[in-house]
Amino acid sequence: MAQFMLLLYDNPEKWKTLSPDEMQKALEKYMGWVKQPFTLDSKRLAPDPGRVLRSHGKRSSVSDGPYSETKEVLGGYYTIDAADYDAAVKLALEHPHLEYGGTIELRKVYSE
Amino acid sequence: MSTAAEPGILIEHLFRRQSGRMVAHFTRLLGPSGLDVAEEAVQEAMLRALQSWPHQGTPPNPEAWLFRVAHNVAIDRVRRNQMSFGKTEELIGELSRSAGEHPNDPGVPEQLGDDELSMIFMCCHPDISTDAQVALSLKTVGGFSVPEIARAFLLDDATIAQRLVRAKRQIRKQGLTLERPTGPGMERRLDAVLSVIYFLFNEGYAALAGDDLIRFDLCREALRLGRLVASSSLASPKVHALVALMALQGARLPARVNEAGDLVLLDDQDRSRWDEASLALGFGHFDLSIAGNEISRYHIEAAIAATHARSARGKATDWPLILQLYDQLLAFDPSPVVALNRAVALAKVHGPAKALEAIEPLQEEPRLREYYLLLALRGQLLLELGREPEAATTFRSALECRCSEPERRFLRRKLADCNQSAPSYRALTPGASRA
Repeated sequence: MAQFMLLLYDNPEKWKTLSPDEMQKALEKYMGWVKQPFTLDSKRLAPDPGRVLRSHGKRSSVSDGPYSETKEVLGGYYTIDAADYDAAVKLALEHPHLEYGGTIELRKVYSE
Repeated sequence: MSTAAEPGILIEHLFRRQSGRMVAHFTRLLGPSGLDVAEEAVQEAMLRALQSWPHQGTPPNPEAWLFRVAHNVAIDRVRRNQMSFGKTEELIGELSRSAGEHPNDPGVPEQLGDDELSMIFMCCHPDISTDAQVALSLKTVGGFSVPEIARAFLLDDATIAQRLVRAKRQIRKQGLTLERPTGPGMERRLDAVLSVIYFLFNEGYAALAGDDLIRFDLCREALRLGRLVASSSLASPKVHALVALMALQGARLPARVNEAGDLVLLDDQDRSRWDEASLALGFGHFDLSIAGNEISRYHIEAAIAATHARSARGKATDWPLILQLYDQLLAFDPSPVVALNRAVALAKVHGPAKALEAIEPLQEEPRLREYYLLLALRGQLLLELGREPEAATTFRSALECRCSEPERRFLRRKLADCNQSAPSYRALTPGASRA
């Protein structure tokens, strides 16, 4: 078994177009996924731009950001158990995030 | 209302329901010019739930959580829009006090229900056009979104959005508040409210728009609003009659479509699939409706629905009574649609030839020209009279009208009947329109 991270990107604005009923349905789908036995951890990131820290030689700078060009931002992550990439992809394809137009970046957690 | 649900399981339509009552609550506190802020605060609370609940778990009392967060957002918005509100500190004080209340504290559910009721009465103000009254009631009290309302009425989003903008402009312009009118003004407003509720129900009931459940939701919402009025101090026999008609007729909804998604006419419906709770509710209100002297159209329609509901089997239906009731209804509302429904009862009592005669003039009605039900009934009557070729032509014309997929399949089956040498007669009943 290996661990994989699902990095969830989406455009937060699009949720505003959902009706209360649709929001409840979306909520229930996301909640369902958190309860799956293979889900080890999940966190939602605060809806602010965060900070970016950069090195400039000996000095470091801190700025608000990342303010990417696209409207999609990293909104949260899940850690799951899966045998390999194929299995992890299969599970991630069922994630409601895709149904709601988001993007999932799937990364394997490194281990020897 | 208790939502002490198992963690992670939300009661059905919780958000839609809470949306309506919270918008009404904030509109009372902020005044009608704060309607947009009220809607925003409620939406934001739900967005935050969507972001946090999956990861932090459902709060023990989801209603209280939404209520509290929406208050915080509203306070924040009022503070930011100081200019547009004037009495900012007063409002913030009021909101903070109300934020400290729990939606289940003594007296609070009653106040929230009362706010909802006041909100419908405001939505049905005579200065707001009827179509906008409907859209506004669904949006604010019902918790429906613009696309959902548009889907329910087969209109585009922009049309509904425009109606809402116009209605809100009227509310601001007239300085409408959630204070309910008194005296004769109240009586007239109640009539407007009842007719909006009646309209919602009929829209939901009239057609099966494919697999779209939104129309079923309209019926449920209409019934909920009707019960809200019926449980208030404004209840009158007329209100109970409307609730009775919706509950008795609505009880048949689950039996109207079979597992295959095909339309099932009243005669053929499996009565064990009629919603028993809804029937009991309907008969309860029906008893209350006969208290006064007034007879409204709701009374007559409730009596028709009750007659159907009383029949244990389709064959035992008291059609002469139903025909008599339709005669009365026609006197109230001499509309072609009522006449069409009456013709169905006429066919049951006096035979297909009489009914065919009765619907002949209806074909000239512009409102019914494109109405598949008129043609469906005509085809059926012709079929019963053994005039298969004419029946087939009529069913073919019916198929060209706008109707849902299950209705289309029904018409095709009828058309197939016409081509058999020994057609299987299946009498068309009010099932066609009032299945």
